[in-house]
Amino acid sequence: MNKKLIAILSVLVVTVLLFVGYKTFLSPKGVEGQKAVTIQVINKNEDVDETFQYNTDHEFLLELLEEKEEELGVTFEHYDIGTMVTGMLGYVANPENQEYFHVYINGEDAMTGPGEIPLNDGDTYIFELKNY
Amino acid sequence: MRIRDIALIGILSAIITAGKLALSFIPNVEVVTLLFIAYTMVFGYKKALLIAVVFTTTEIFIYGFSTWLLGYYLIWPILIMVTELLKKRAKSEYGYAIIGAIFGYTFGFFFAVVESLFYGVAYGWVYWIRGLLFDLVHGTSNFIIILVLLKPIVDILNRLKRTYYGV
Repeated sequence: MNKKLIAILSVLVVTVLLFVGYKTFLSPKGVEGQKAVTIQVINKNEDVDETFQYNTDHEFLLELLEEKEEELGVTFEHYDIGTMVTGMLGYVANPENQEYFHVYINGEDAMTGPGEIPLNDGDTYIFELKNY
Repeated sequence: MRIRDIALIGILSAIITAGKLALSFIPNVEVVTLLFIAYTMVFGYKKALLIAVVFTTTEIFIYGFSTWLLGYYLIWPILIMVTELLKKRAKSEYGYAIIGAIFGYTFGFFFAVVESLFYGVAYGWVYWIRGLLFDLVHGTSNFIIILVLLKPIVDILNRLKRTYYGV
């Protein structure tokens, strides 16, 4: 077999193995079962501070937001790297004013997008309109 | 520097920008690494460094200024200098393919370090971990693209260089 083809196939096999390793050990894991969670939306521009309680079987925040899309007035923006929440309760953050919805999990800054935030029983997820 | 060189630097950086935009629909699959390696091999590191500056500045015009573009001003010159050092030793495209692969696999780590200078170590750490799959695609695609395309591109560029400079 062609030497280059062997090199390419070898690299592809190693890549697939590393991909499986990442998915197994490093990607966030969802929690199965019923969970009671709270979603709070804060938008000081519109004088909004609303709280919603949900019981859900979903494992990730994005799945819950998609199910409650109408009630929560969520707007999504889809990127290669994942989905971002750009609007809540019908208000869409305006990038020209450097606005965005900051996500807190139990008061701590979220480090990932909603697609990678696992839902845990009793957790509170805050979406606050902020400026960068 | 002659006018001929200035025009060449403009054209070669435009090719990189066009190549990047053409492949932008596939995340982290790019020909920028391949082209910088080829340019360094054919035109030397001095011209390649100027092309890197023009290319990165063009990126600012296209995407606006952000912290990751500061990393671009460093990472492409690093690739060019590594290629320049390898030029005398590498006998085939395999060496360059390995350099391109390492470059792709560590791309996210490099930017995580730069981002952590602005936003803290915790952010940099998450940035790196969350981007690992993209780095994986980046490194592997760099290896394949360079292994397959470097030699034909260098041959074409050498021919064009002879015609352009009349030597």
